[in-house]
Amino acid sequence: MINSIYTVLGMACGHCADAVTEELERVPGVTAVEVHVEADRVSVTSDRELDLAQVRAAVEEAGYELTAHNT
Amino acid sequence: MRPLSDSDPKEFIAGFFTSFSEELLRDDEDPAAIVDRYHTKDIIETADGHRMDRDKLIAHTRPVRKNRPISRMEVHEAVADGDRIAARYTLHVQQRKKEFAMEVYFFGQFAGDGRMRRAHMLTRTVPAGEKGDQATAALGEQAAPA
Repeated sequence: MINSIYTVLGMACGHCADAVTEELERVPGVTAVEVHVEADRVSVTSDRELDLAQVRAAVEEAGYELTAHNT
Repeated sequence: MRPLSDSDPKEFIAGFFTSFSEELLRDDEDPAAIVDRYHTKDIIETADGHRMDRDKLIAHTRPVRKNRPISRMEVHEAVADGDRIAARYTLHVQQRKKEFAMEVYFFGQFAGDGRMRRAHMLTRTVPAGEKGDQATAALGEQAAPA
């Protein structure tokens, strides 16, 4: 299992967290998503190395902005 | 924007959120300028325990503009005391091909010119389309942040 941490801007509440989680769970290989709204942080667990472009696209699709990949 | 002191509390709170949302979605104006028209610079909003300052509020305009939620706001009751207001309302939202509704318990403080200074909101999701107990301010189809 691989755990990656991303900085995502624009999240404000639980509904934001749900939208980001829903899109990230569609990315192939993702097994779990944990969102920390106040910290602008999203933790993604996957069974393979994730393509940053795919992760970014998922976050963008939800309407948010991925600004950093911290792992 | 009308000051709270000159307004019916229900109309004030409905008008505040409706107008703010409409301005955000109307064009590509700098969101910081719009946020500043409706909030004091030291704004702190706490929604379900999540704290938002001015910067986070501005950042949150991006998904609002991207997702362009359609919402209808029903204000069930609202009371004002000086510069503070308490209200209970339901937001019916259509966003990203989904519908949901949330009942909101709102406590806020506003500056004399009608800008928001502080807000605490607790929300609970209710079945989409469920009518509030007394629809007192059906505003029609309006865009509002979810």
